Amino acid sequence: MTSLTIATRPAAAPAPTRRTALLRTLHSEFTKLRSVRSTYWIMFALVLASAAWCVAYCLGTVHQWPHMSAQDRSGFDATQNSILGLALLGQLVIVVFGALMITSEYSTGMVRTSLTVMPRRGTLYAAKAAVFAAVSLVVAFVASFGTFFLGRVLLSSTHVPMSLSQPGVLRSLIITALFVEACGLVAFGIGALVRNTAAALTLAFGFLVLLPQLIRTLPVFLHNDLTRWVPGGDAINSMTATIGGQIPHTFSAWGELAVFAGYAALLLLLGAVQFARRDA
Amino acid sequence: MIEARGLVKRYGSTAAVNDLSFTIRPGLVTGFLGPNGAGKTTTMRLILGLDYPSAGTVTVNGKPYAQLPDPMHEVGALLDAGAVHGGRTARNHLLGLAQTNGIGPRRVDEVLGLVGLTDVAGKRSRGFSLGMRQRLGIAAALLGDPQILMFDEPVNGLDPEGILWIRNLMRSLAAEGRTVLVSSHLMAEMEYTADHLLVIGRGRLLADCGMAEFIARGSGQAVQVRTPQPDALARAVAAAGGTLASVGDDGQFEVCGLTEDQVSDLAFAQGIRLYHLAQTRASLEHAFMELTADSVEYHAELPAGK
Repeated sequence: MTSLTIATRPAAAPAPTRRTALLRTLHSEFTKLRSVRSTYWIMFALVLASAAWCVAYCLGTVHQWPHMSAQDRSGFDATQNSILGLALLGQLVIVVFGALMITSEYSTGMVRTSLTVMPRRGTLYAAKAAVFAAVSLVVAFVASFGTFFLGRVLLSSTHVPMSLSQPGVLRSLIITALFVEACGLVAFGIGALVRNTAAALTLAFGFLVLLPQLIRTLPVFLHNDLTRWVPGGDAINSMTATIGGQIPHTFSAWGELAVFAGYAALLLLLGAVQFARRDA
Repeated sequence: MIEARGLVKRYGSTAAVNDLSFTIRPGLVTGFLGPNGAGKTTTMRLILGLDYPSAGTVTVNGKPYAQLPDPMHEVGALLDAGAVHGGRTARNHLLGLAQTNGIGPRRVDEVLGLVGLTDVAGKRSRGFSLGMRQRLGIAAALLGDPQILMFDEPVNGLDPEGILWIRNLMRSLAAEGRTVLVSSHLMAEMEYTADHLLVIGRGRLLADCGMAEFIARGSGQAVQVRTPQPDALARAVAAAGGTLASVGDDGQFEVCGLTEDQVSDLAFAQGIRLYHLAQTRASLEHAFMELTADSVEYHAELPAGK
C-alpha cells in the first residue's frame, strides 16, 4: 500500500461560510440524485402517466366529437382535458419521488454517512429539499406544457382552438405543475417525519386519495365546507379549468394552489424540525 | 483530540452510555473495547453528533462535531460499511460525500486507488462483498485526509486477508501521526493494533490506560500450554483455582492464576498430556475477561433476569 497522505493537501483552507456550505451541499445532493437509476425511472413514469392520460382522453374526445352537441362542444375544456392526467396521476408518482428522496436515506442507512460529512442538519435538509424541488419542478413543467401541446396535436381534427394566449390557459398549466410540485413536497415532509418509505407513501396516498373520498361521504353541507381544503376533484377542477368560471365550493385557482402550498410548507417545516431534533 | 465529559445516553430507562469521561489523545491508536452492547457504537455516534446525549458533552478538537467547519478534513469515520445507497457507483458515492466539504473528483480517484477499488469505481456498490464495502467506507473516511479516524468494528466479518489489510492500514495511519479510535470486541485484534485502551462495560468506563498497563493490571502472568485434552485440563485447573482460556487454534490455551510448576504438577497428577508449557505475559483477552466479567450484557449460560 502506498502512503495515505496526499501531496496536495490544501493549506488550511478558510472555513466555509454558511452560504458556501449550502452551495456545496446542493452540489452533493444533486450528484446523489442524478447517480441513482430510480430518479430517472420516476421522472419517466411521471411524464408517461401524464401523457398516457392525455392520449386516452383526447383520442376518446376525437372519437366522440361528431356525436357531441354544439353545447357540449363549446363547453369542452381542451386544456383541462389534456393536462388533467398530470394533476390526477402525476401527483401519485411525484409523491413516490418526494418520499423516496428522504426515506431512501433511512432505508439504506446512508443518512448516517450523509450527516457525518455534513453535520449541519438544517443545511443538509434544505439542500435535499431544494434539489428535489428544482428537479421535480422542471419535470412537472415539462409534463404540463408537454401534455398541452400533445393534446393540441391530438385534438387538431376537432378544430378547437388551443393556444397559450387564450385566457386561463397559461394559468392552468403553471398552477397544475405547481400543485403537483406541492404534492411532492408534502410527501418529502412526511418522509422526514416518519423516515420509512412504506409509512410515508401510505400517509401521502391517504392524504391525496383517501381523504377526498372520505369528505365526499360527509353530509352535503360539511362536504361543501371542506372540499376546498382537500386535494380532490373539486379543488383540482378549480386549478385546471380554463373555461366555465368559478367552480362551486372552491377557492379560485390561485387560492387552491395556496392551500396546498400551505400544506407543503407546514409538512416541510415539521419534517425539518424532526430531522434536526431526532437522533439519526 | 476527542474529549467526552460526563456523557450519558439513555434509551427509555436503560442507559446505553453512563457518565463517560475520556480524552482521546492525538498520535495514538486507541482501542475502544467492550463486550457486545457495552455502548461502543452509541459513544461513537455521540461523538459524531448522530445521536444527541441525554447529558454531558463531547467535543472534537475543542468543538462539538456539528460545529466543525469542514468535518471531513478533521475526522474520518466508518461506523457502518453498509450505510451506502447500493444503487450508486463507488465513485459517485464518494463524489457526493466529497462535494459537501469542497473536495474535488481528483481526490476521489486518489482514495479509490488507496483502498484498491479503482477497478470497480464505476460499479454499483450493491454487488460489493463485505470486504469491498469496508474498503469503500474507509475510502470515504480518508477523503478529507483527516487527522482523526474512527472505525467501529472494522474487522467484523472480514476474511483473513481483509483483517490483515485493516490492521496494516491502522498501523500506517498511526505511523503518520494520526489519531485512530478503533472499537472492537475482538481482544486479539486489539493487541496487534492499539497503543492505548478505553474499556467500557454496560456504558461505564472500566479502564483508560496503556495496553501494557492494562494487561499488567490483570493477573499479570499466565502460563501457555498446548494439550490434546483441554476438557480434562480445564477441570483440573478450575479445581485448583485457576482459569483456562483458549488462545489461537490447535490446542493452545492460557492458564491464569497458577504458576508454571503448578500446571505441570497438575497435569502429571491427572495424567494429562502437555505438548508445550511456558510462562508468558497474560493476554489482553484474559485481562479483559477479568475486568468485564460483571458487566457482560448477555451471559450465554445464565437464564434471563438472573
